[in-house]
Amino acid sequence: MKYRDIKQPNYRHVGKYSPRKEAKEIVTGKALFLDDFSLPHMLFGRTKRSPYPHAKIVKIDTSAAEALEGVRAVITHKNAPFLAALGWPVHRLVLESRAFHVGDQVAIVAADTLEIADEAVDLIKVEYEQLPAVFTAVDALKEGAPQLYERFPGNLVDPGCPYFQPDGPFWQVKKGDPDKAIAEADYVAEDEISFSKMPCPAAPETPSVIVRFDGNDHYTVWASSQSSHIMKLMMQAYVPGSVIDVNTFNVGGSYGNKQTMLNAAVSAAMLANVTKRPVKIVLSKAESLMTYEVRLGSTIKATMAANKEGIVTAVKGDWLVDVGCVCNSTQGQVGVGLGEAQLVLAKCENWFLDSHIAVTNRQQAGIVRGYGGQELNSCLEKLLCAIMREGNFNPLDIFKKNYVSHGDKYLWRDGRTYRSRSSFFFPEVIQETADRFGWSEKWKGWFKPTSMNGTKARGVGMGVIGNCDIQEDNTEAIVRIIPSLELSNAGGGSSTVIVECDITESGMGQRSNACKVVAEVFNCPYEWVSITDPGSRNNPSNFGLCGSRGTITTGKAVTEAALDAKKKAMELASIKLDRPVDQLDMRDMVIYVRDTPEISISVSKLADRELSIVGYGKHVEKFDCPSCIAVFIEVEVDLETGHTEVLKLAGGTDIGQIIDSKALEMQLHGGIGSACLDTAIFEDCSLDPSTGRLLASSMIDYKWRTFNEIPPYDGFVMESQIDTFMFKALGIGEISGAALASAALMAISNAIGADVKEYPATPAVVLKALGKA
Amino acid sequence: MVTESAVSPKGSKLATRDSITLTINGRRFKFSVGDGTGDVSPAETLTETLRKRLQMTGSKESCGVGACGCCAVIVNGDAVAACMTLTVELDGKNITTIEGLEDATKGLDPIQQAFIDEYAFQCGFCTPGIIMVAKALFMKKAQPTPEEIKEALAGNFCRCISHYTVLRALNKLAGNKNAELSTIVRANDLVQDPIPLAQELYPSPYASGHVCKHSLD
Repeated sequence: MKYRDIKQPNYRHVGKYSPRKEAKEIVTGKALFLDDFSLPHMLFGRTKRSPYPHAKIVKIDTSAAEALEGVRAVITHKNAPFLAALGWPVHRLVLESRAFHVGDQVAIVAADTLEIADEAVDLIKVEYEQLPAVFTAVDALKEGAPQLYERFPGNLVDPGCPYFQPDGPFWQVKKGDPDKAIAEADYVAEDEISFSKMPCPAAPETPSVIVRFDGNDHYTVWASSQSSHIMKLMMQAYVPGSVIDVNTFNVGGSYGNKQTMLNAAVSAAMLANVTKRPVKIVLSKAESLMTYEVRLGSTIKATMAANKEGIVTAVKGDWLVDVGCVCNSTQGQVGVGLGEAQLVLAKCENWFLDSHIAVTNRQQAGIVRGYGGQELNSCLEKLLCAIMREGNFNPLDIFKKNYVSHGDKYLWRDGRTYRSRSSFFFPEVIQETADRFGWSEKWKGWFKPTSMNGTKARGVGMGVIGNCDIQEDNTEAIVRIIPSLELSNAGGGSSTVIVECDITESGMGQRSNACKVVAEVFNCPYEWVSITDPGSRNNPSNFGLCGSRGTITTGKAVTEAALDAKKKAMELASIKLDRPVDQLDMRDMVIYVRDTPEISISVSKLADRELSIVGYGKHVEKFDCPSCIAVFIEVEVDLETGHTEVLKLAGGTDIGQIIDSKALEMQLHGGIGSACLDTAIFEDCSLDPSTGRLLASSMIDYKWRTFNEIPPYDGFVMESQIDTFMFKALGIGEISGAALASAALMAISNAIGADVKEYPATPAVVLKALGKA
Repeated sequence: MVTESAVSPKGSKLATRDSITLTINGRRFKFSVGDGTGDVSPAETLTETLRKRLQMTGSKESCGVGACGCCAVIVNGDAVAACMTLTVELDGKNITTIEGLEDATKGLDPIQQAFIDEYAFQCGFCTPGIIMVAKALFMKKAQPTPEEIKEALAGNFCRCISHYTVLRALNKLAGNKNAELSTIVRANDLVQDPIPLAQELYPSPYASGHVCKHSLD
């Protein structure tokens, strides 16, 4: 099949740009974020944190804090209103008699004002007994290493997570005979690679929450969470016997990172329980940087083999994951990482890729855009580079040959085997993106610069990655056609549509896209469709916008609901117009006879007065339509200073069908931010070696790519109408930057003519690779 | 560029001042200064005054150290980081916040409209600060160069990466040609000799782009 043979529909809304529903609110400052909101009688919560990475609390004196005027509650492990657990499997409490990283919660305070709460925190006197600490996963698994939790002997976390893996734990890719394949291979590479700086996604809005105790173990939560459903699910698991309702607002950046916010949320729940007043906790930027969830630490020690064609034939090794001081269903991320590795090396039939998760005395790692895939890919692709270098292969050819094709099998994060039903055009999109980037002119061979100008050397790199989580988690939606309400009873007003769907907007535009596809189904103006406020209580079930799942899962649920409502409207019209349904059509909330359009009826007049026409739709989880993105990067490295400048970026994907043109463009751009590209360039995350504490405690210290450091971006998008749901689209944002870090290291290595294996390639790392440091 | 404070503390008469008057979005506000209930304390930042005292929550507090620009407002024509500006230093100053840009009769400021037209935001948290810094720049120079725009916004952080569309919006507004940093090419536009859609054969009931003889149009 050729691309030109694919029928490209010409939609009224889909594929075009529609301004976001909340666009005007955002540009006028009226868009509501969590800290813009407050409740009557609300108190302010603050946290006393440990200065030590591992310590026993010998004595804690809260009397001075409690005596301070305006303080309403001081809670420690001794007087917590309930035992709130943390982690999967449960291995610690939110408040306990030990601290496991610098910044761990020791006590929490609620007061009338933030200033009083801060003063109270300072008045809490804590006597610690310091314990030996461990800051890397490798060290944590060594014999005799300091032990963190009784639940994890040797600091090793149990593999598997029942929620993600209902058939049993999945933590290894095992098939074929890797030893035999390695012995017979034409090219073999063996190495140990780390991507373990654990950078922060650092959303501009810090994790923040308001919790109100409603009695009878019922809590109402308002949160800067990107998913009210996930937050409800997790909080109910850890606040014993509770019923939690979560409401969200606009979210000021999340990148997968602000979902459960359990420490802050459970702390606020405890304080609300004790004070019987709503409690707001907003993490400061320093707290967010030094104690909130960061990227997983990742190290692989593995052997990779390939045949003379450059097809990878064996992967054998171990992936060691550093999860910091709390493991909260990281097993799911490991499952996705293993899955994504198989998509990249889909022709490989011999695998033994094991994984181990270790707890350490660093701040907790958790979910960040890429969800395990970026962390593993950044290591595994360096091995692939070694193979390609040995065989003197052009990486463009190797990625095209090895990436998953329609019909290829792989294991996904639930441990089940899937066969790709996705695009036939991935090799084509990789090639076309490369051509537009100018790959064939810029690629001069391994460790050979594209060009030299004095001390400045240019080099290029590339990467390809994909994801199947774009179909994850069951989802439902309701669509209601609301009749126009008119006291005059004169009729003539148009019906409007409400999409009942629990998705929170954190920048992807999916709330508007849900309205857009519904408007397409009804063939009515986009402005006539609105969506309910996000919240777990008043909406059908939806995991929210994680894993780029919104396009397919929400898209399918809302379009099916709209189709259901439309079918009911047509049936009602069929009776009123005395024509069979198949002779009717609908436009702008008028149903008409196709051959005699002057015979028509307003949808407003179909249902009994005041009643709406309701449709229901759902999506059921599966993992058989992988996405694909190819990324290309050109850098210029100063061989004297080691400084790297990114000159050009390109990204290409087959998205199936564009839902919103500008939203897609920004999802491709997004891969540059949120601890993706720059985890290979400058997000260094230096630690205090004695405490494991991140030294960057403010946005002055935490380096960030600014407006005058943005390189040109060249995007290429195919739309091959992939069979996912009615509008044939895939999601992409989750992985748009997941292969950029490894591609950047490839480019830097080629520019300087030496292998750079350390993330990020700071000037010091580059100079070391050049033998100058 | 966001400056830490538009006002030099030198020569300040704070010690003797018992009230200050600020003009915010055209309205005068008089505050008593002190440590009593309701007073503006000498330590109160402009961010606190705007967000907590006046419920003007459009400008955001993010970094709290003047690094990110989320809190940017315009004071006497200059963009300043409100989180690093003490309110007591602003006596007699004219302050414009994101809430004050939209004109009651003319509608949105051209920068605000350009941001909608070009989808120049993602999560939108940093957007008010970016718009205010851009506004200060355009107030000083109606047609800044692409480099001047980038330099002006160097103190505004956006982690979602709205940079490309922000620059696109502002460059269009400034009339700058050939300043585009991002291109997205759709393969459908490159298909040579595309197969024309035979509308009778492929009448997608959900595609209204085709017009047939039975169309209501």
